Amino acid sequence: RGSSCIRIECIFFSEFHPTLGPKITYQVPEEYISRELFDTVQVYIITKPELQNKLITVTAMGKKLIGCPVCIEHKKYSRNALLFNLGLVCDARTKTCALEPIVKKLSGYLTTLELESGFISNEESKQKLLPIMSTLLEELNATGACTLPIDESNTINLKLIEQRRDPLIVQEYDVPVFTQCKDHFIKSQWDLTTQQILAYIDGFRHIQKISAEADVELNLVRIAVQNLLYYGVVTLVSIFQYSNVYCTTPTVQSLIDDRSIQEECLNYVTKKGQKRACLRDVFQLYCGLTPGTTVRDLCSRYSQQLQRVDERRLIQYGLMKALIRRLQKYPVKVTRDERSRPPRLYTGCHSYDEICCKTGMSYKELDERLENDPNIIVCWK
Amino acid sequence: MFFKCGEKTSPISVILVTSGSRGNKLLFRYPFQQVSDCTSSLTTKQRSPYALNTTGDVLEDPDGDSRFSDIILATILATKSDMCGKKFELKIDNVRFVGHPTLLQHPHTIQVSKTDPSPKREMPTMILFSVVFALRANADPSVISCMHNLSRRIAIALQHEERRCQYLTREAKLMLAVQDEVTNMTESDPQSPFRQILPKCKLARDLKEAYDSLCTTGVVRLHINNWLEVSFCLPHKIHRVGGNHVPPEALERSLKAIRPYHALLLLDSEKALLAQLPLDCSPALVRLIKTCSAVKNLQQLAQDADLNLLQIFQIAAHLVYWGKAIIVYPLCENNVYMLSPHANISLYSPLAEAFGQQFPGHDLPSMLAKFSLPLSLSEFRNPLDASVQEAQLIQMVVWMLQRRLLIQLHTYVCLLVPPSEEESGLLRDEELPLVARVGGRSLSTPSALSFGSPSIFTQLMIWWRICFSLISLPLV
Repeated sequence: RGSSCIRIECIFFSEFHPTLGPKITYQVPEEYISRELFDTVQVYIITKPELQNKLITVTAMGKKLIGCPVCIEHKKYSRNALLFNLGLVCDARTKTCALEPIVKKLSGYLTTLELESGFISNEESKQKLLPIMSTLLEELNATGACTLPIDESNTINLKLIEQRRDPLIVQEYDVPVFTQCKDHFIKSQWDLTTQQILAYIDGFRHIQKISAEADVELNLVRIAVQNLLYYGVVTLVSIFQYSNVYCTTPTVQSLIDDRSIQEECLNYVTKKGQKRACLRDVFQLYCGLTPGTTVRDLCSRYSQQLQRVDERRLIQYGLMKALIRRLQKYPVKVTRDERSRPPRLYTGCHSYDEICCKTGMSYKELDERLENDPNIIVCWK
Repeated sequence: MFFKCGEKTSPISVILVTSGSRGNKLLFRYPFQQVSDCTSSLTTKQRSPYALNTTGDVLEDPDGDSRFSDIILATILATKSDMCGKKFELKIDNVRFVGHPTLLQHPHTIQVSKTDPSPKREMPTMILFSVVFALRANADPSVISCMHNLSRRIAIALQHEERRCQYLTREAKLMLAVQDEVTNMTESDPQSPFRQILPKCKLARDLKEAYDSLCTTGVVRLHINNWLEVSFCLPHKIHRVGGNHVPPEALERSLKAIRPYHALLLLDSEKALLAQLPLDCSPALVRLIKTCSAVKNLQQLAQDADLNLLQIFQIAAHLVYWGKAIIVYPLCENNVYMLSPHANISLYSPLAEAFGQQFPGHDLPSMLAKFSLPLSLSEFRNPLDASVQEAQLIQMVVWMLQRRLLIQLHTYVCLLVPPSEEESGLLRDEELPLVARVGGRSLSTPSALSFGSPSIFTQLMIWWRICFSLISLPLV
């Protein structure tokens, strides 16, 4: 995977010496943390009991120190307790969230080692820490991972995990589409549910349909797709129908400005077996998508431009890259008699897509039902 | 565990700590902790070292605040003096503390109040203080820097007042006295000492007000010692589109993009806005507010208000930043508007109710439905309507624009040369056609038109409409 953009500048091991008090016992590279810096931050490194076992990140003098203070109480220690902290130092501007699980894990490892074999309280074995810290620093910076056997029964396994944003909630009427060619992804690495539904993800089937055809429970499909969304393997688009209406977004300008997007787009939307479509036609098609124009209308107006272009892939690409957006229909029941119930679905909060999915009606049926109702108006957005 | 998305931008608490000859003290914190919860966190249970440490999982209260005791907060937040004058940032599990510790100069002589009957003794000296905000650890970095900014502003005001009349020392003395009094009470179930401090200390009330404002409107206006004004706004609370906040960089970019052909649309009535201004505000600001109008562009406004354009830009940017106005294109017949994708069209939304009250007999969803297809103002109005009704329709459009329910569409022109068949020998197959952009907001010169013959040029106009956010804030 290669190194992440977090660079660890220093790893330090600090403890509470029975006579000297809080000090840095080891640090690699040497002398990185100045006396002054340690004096300023020591209260956050060797801490009062209330802060022990908590992940503490303090910023001072242009550096960020992340540590997890540990306290092991036992009569055998002078002062009846062993206090130590293995921490990392980065530049103050670094985003260090991804390092936190590593620091926590390290504190856990050292605690275990001490409890099992007195690794830290024994002066001889404590010295082994220095080469361990050196290796950690080197490998974490180089590859973002480190596997290091300590003794016969203990191995340190660490990996820097990229923090990603929480994905959107996946709805039953959303359509997952692969962001790259499907074959890029090794099937066997995914869980069983995902493996079962992978074949049904084609950029046209929506969640409900995938669930029905793959015979997997709806919520499981949603969670599996949400997981794929988290890792950027798929993105979500809306159901394709010829009655859909789309319109352009300001991003459509990138088709003009960005050569790589032009290339990618033209390769994606050209009909299989045809000569590559030209930018002018494709651009005209995207610009032809306006409020009030259905895909069917587009096809009849621009039949010449569509000779070499697959309109379904055109729409799919446009949605994936946010060159266009879908205009959804929202029915709102604006007037009703006093006696009838308040509207449940026709409130302006639920789109046609959602209502059709929930009630099992088709678009046409819903349209017919609503068009003749004078109390219902429809908003597009 | 539910979070409203607005809560990520709200602080968890505000804390005032000092460090001095009496050691580190936590003077005030808000919201108050219940004393019973406080004691439970202090019990040192003999924990088995093999027990799982569930940090970030189960045992915490929904706000993500691990309920730190006053004493530990005083220790960790009242920093050493070499951390003063800089941003202080400390993260403990999922709480992030941010502040600006400030050094106070040692007063050489301490003024003891003449009415103080106590025997003259060594007054405890305060060396430094810090107003700290506790935030959720997953708060956006821009929120953290805004909170730091506020902490710094309050610190500057307090430092000034301390130097002038020892305001902070006096307030601190009051706060500590109340705390001592409460801890000496032997009655069962003592209240939090901070609750008792509030009615007695103006500074405590100011800090509470800052916290409350940050959690609600995002606009903080304090008068430290009833004298110095500290004002601050949290853009994340004020500028929201579709449930998400507008990132400050986007805000900065859009403020720089204000042009003379834009217009300023006030979000409050002129009267309400003028009432909110401080007494010593600039007369230019007042003039601008009185003269601006949604149909006048900024150039005209400059002439009418007798200010130069640069001043107009600065004041307009200021009003937009504080959420008091938005930038639009001057309203005219040919403007085309459409329903915004972020508009709340629910029948039961507070907007629908407000609209019904403002314009009786009309309902918001029906009006919004009309803008489902792009509509120009001239199409929206019916020339047969009485002029009163016409005026009301314009007011409705302005109302909808103010609440970001409508966006304006603009037309851009793009020039695309079709690949010419005869010249295919000269062009490589992969060569994409020449593309040039004319008009719209582009600053490109017509030199691009020198390629190709005039006849190709005329064949090639492609028109399209693209959505453009009305207030020139990009949709995130």
